[in-house]
Amino acid sequence: MVQNGQVAVMIPVREKVRSEMSSLDDFTPLVQLHQQRIYRVLLGMVRDPDSAQTLTQECFLRAYQKRASFRGEASVGVWLLKIAVNLARDHRRSRLREFWHRWFSSSEEVAALGQKVPDPHPSQEQVLLGREEVAGVWAAVKRLSPQQRAVFILRFVEEMSLEEIAEATSLKLGTVKAHLFRAVHAIREQRQGGRTRE
Amino acid sequence: MNNHLSEDQITEWALGTCDDFVLRHLETCRGCSLEAEELRRALSGFRDALQAVAQRDQSFWRNQQVTFRERASVRDWYPMHWAWLVAMVMVLITAIFLIRTPKTLRNYPSDAADNALLNEIQGDLSREVPQALAPAVLIAEERNAILMNSVGRQSQKVQNKK
Repeated sequence: MVQNGQVAVMIPVREKVRSEMSSLDDFTPLVQLHQQRIYRVLLGMVRDPDSAQTLTQECFLRAYQKRASFRGEASVGVWLLKIAVNLARDHRRSRLREFWHRWFSSSEEVAALGQKVPDPHPSQEQVLLGREEVAGVWAAVKRLSPQQRAVFILRFVEEMSLEEIAEATSLKLGTVKAHLFRAVHAIREQRQGGRTRE
Repeated sequence: MNNHLSEDQITEWALGTCDDFVLRHLETCRGCSLEAEELRRALSGFRDALQAVAQRDQSFWRNQQVTFRERASVRDWYPMHWAWLVAMVMVLITAIFLIRTPKTLRNYPSDAADNALLNEIQGDLSREVPQALAPAVLIAEERNAILMNSVGRQSQKVQNKK
């Protein structure tokens, strides 16, 4: 009965959302609403602003083309993130791109991210410590597999629930948890390594 | 014996999936709460830093929307373009099929008629007298033959008399 009720509720929602995405004019507000989040997740995953920008465009284009296949089981935001995560994964698979990316990256990127530490503390020492800490986390995140990185960013940057992450990454809940465990362990190891060096 | 939280327990706490025991322990254990707090600060520092790096001005997002609209409208047309192309190829193939196949069927009797006409013309050209005068020529030839016979017979009678 409950399942039937869920289906009955889901169908009008799906139809409503589909009708909201039917034309380009209807779809554009969705781009406006979700583009910053999609860009942020892609930037975290591919670590290159130009690639993140291109992939954000591609994400919305794919979504627009496949809007008829939106089943309404998850929110539009999660559906878009799913497309974005798949695009970032495909992007990483290109070995040539990976080669050039490694070649030109990215002590600069890490440093740039370190510079972006918000500065609530007046003490210069604390700011520097914060920057180092962020750079350490960034370095650890960089070493994660694309899937682990996606899961980590969705959890700790986008603050999504584990269920939503499972939906967005097409993984099982247990796998999501395992990836998060590994990611947090890697970050703690990185921090402890940094501390022992100090 | 180590009474501190394990690494997995602190990770569970960071993920927000820890049990009450971990929460109670963190309230009482200064070492573990410092450890957990440092991890939380590192994670939230990373989050804030990534959010700051991903910040763009309004013109950037407006350009993104404009570019999306342009590309999406091109892609809307793109499948139509292919559909038109396929339709044109189909029409072309059908036209070729329709033009070529009946032509061979139609040519067959027309070729035979042409050949018959050519033979007829050839016959007319090789004729010594026009076809309309052929019976007259035939009559004249028969008449000549009769005359020749009668002349021959008369000359024979004359010779016999001599």
